[in-house]
This record gives sequence, C-alpha cells and structure tokens, in this order.
Amino acid sequence: MAMLATTTLQSPSMLAPVDGDGAATERAIVVAAQRGSDDAFAALVRLHQRRSYSVVRAIVLSHEDAEDAVQEGFLHAHRALDRFRPDQPFGAWLYRIMANAALDLVRRRKVRDADELPDNVAIPFRDPAESGELRERLQEALTHLTDRQRAVIVLHDVEGFTHGEIGRTLGIPEGTARSDLHHARATLRRLLQNIRSTS
Amino acid sequence: MTDHRWTPRENDVTDALRAHYAPPADEGYWEALEARILAHVARGGDGDGWWSALAGMARPALAAAAILVLVAGAAVVHTRQLDARNAYASVISAAPPSIESSARLSSTPDGDATINYILSH
Repeated sequence: MAMLATTTLQSPSMLAPVDGDGAATERAIVVAAQRGSDDAFAALVRLHQRRSYSVVRAIVLSHEDAEDAVQEGFLHAHRALDRFRPDQPFGAWLYRIMANAALDLVRRRKVRDADELPDNVAIPFRDPAESGELRERLQEALTHLTDRQRAVIVLHDVEGFTHGEIGRTLGIPEGTARSDLHHARATLRRLLQNIRSTS
Repeated sequence: MTDHRWTPRENDVTDALRAHYAPPADEGYWEALEARILAHVARGGDGDGWWSALAGMARPALAAAAILVLVAGAAVVHTRQLDARNAYASVISAAPPSIESSARLSSTPDGDATINYILSH
C-alpha cells in the first residue's frame, strides 16, 4: 500500500476519469480504501486535496472556510465510501461532495452572521491609483454575486471547468451554469467598470 | 446566450480572479493539510457544533431520563399503596359493631330488657 500511497496521478481534465494506468491505479486505491485501508484513503486525500480546495474555495468566502470545507468533505466521503461504485469517476463523485460541504458551510455561516453583516456590502470609494486596487475592488465586487454565480465564474474562469463539469459538481443543469456565468461576468464588468477605465 | 466573454482588455480581471483564488504554493502547507484532514477523519469530526454537543449529551440525558421515569414510577406505585392502606384502615376504624355483638343484642328478649331496667332503678 505504501506504493499506492506515494503514486501521483495527473489528469488533464479536472473531472474526467484518470486515463489508462492512472485510472486503474486510482480504482485500486479506491477499492483498497473501501476495504478499510487507512493508507489508501490517505493516498486519495493526497491525490485530490488540491483540486478539492479549489472547488470549495470557489464557493466559500475565505481560505479558512475552504480548509474547513475540505476537511468536512473528506469526512463525508470517508463515511460514504462504501456507497461509491468504483466504475465511476472518483473525482466527480468527490468534488460533488466537496461542493455540498462548502455550500453547507456557507449556509451555516450566513445563519451565524445574519445579525452581524448587512446583505449587501457597499463598495466604498477609493483612489484608483491605490496599489492593488483592482484586486481589492474585485474582492468586494465578488460579494455582490450570488453564492452560485461566484462558484460558477471561479470554477470556469479560474479552474477551467466546463459548463457540464460545473453542473455536475454543483448539482445544477448545464444551462443554469451557463446563465450564471453570463450574469456573474456582467455584474463584475459593471462593478469594475470605473476602476478599469481609469487605470 | 453569450457568456459575456472577457475582452482582451479585461484579461486583468481574470488575472485578478486567479490571483485571488490561487491555492497555496508551499508544499509543506499541503502536507500539513493532509495530516489535518486525516486527523479530522480519524476523530470523526470536530464535534464543536451545537448538534455535536447535543449528540454528546444525548446518552447521559437518556440515562437520566430513564432513572427519572423509574423513580417517578416507583413513587406512583408507593403512593397508590399508601392510599389503599389508608382507605382500608379508615374502613376498619369506622366499622360498625361486630356481627356477634349485634346478634347478641338482637337476640335479647324484650322481657329481659324490662327486668334489667327495673333492677337498675
């Protein structure tokens, strides 16, 4: 199992099954984990934690929340592992669980912070010449997107997911992912227009 | 519907998005996160939510509730036994003259009663 645990798999597509020997190796690791091997599960964590982080980071608002969501996602995956069919792509199954863990965390945060934060955060005026202005304004503009719009635009524009992959990950129709991307870009374009035209 | 595709002039927005969402590059970070994830899985979760606290209290609470039910049941049974005993005792203390004495009185002839009255006066 030590050999499996140190194996590295590279997939050209974010959610597509790992090709060839990589897919067979990953399937063997999954089966071993399903039989109770802690080393095999550790190998799965090592293989998928970066992509899992990217998926949940697209949904939650902070790095710290992303870490918590990844932890919860892997915990749920461990508990549900015996229900996973090894002939399916493990990545797609896992990232769906990750997305659900992140969405659940966002919901809990909203309940907790309901009395602390207003629904809409106004963008304060700042000198566009300020260093890192675009990045700061972008961070603020992202709060004006819905959770799903933010997830879709990050998964698409940053992580390179296709609309279909986004739909499967977030549990929404492909057309909805496409529509969310359209509205997210339009909103960001509108909110960032001033600074971009003056910089 | 178009995707409102970014124009070449807007590539800076995509660059800023990528910078904002860039995962940590330090290899040590991922090793630490892996260890943290595995420890979290081994523990079965943090258990720091209110639901976890309630779940932790569930077993002792159930035991306490069972004890309370037993004590309450015993108290009810004891009270009923006391009530029955008291009721029985009250019936005994308020009992009419015994059948034997009643029968003796009722069997005394009227003539004897008259003689007894005269003798006493």
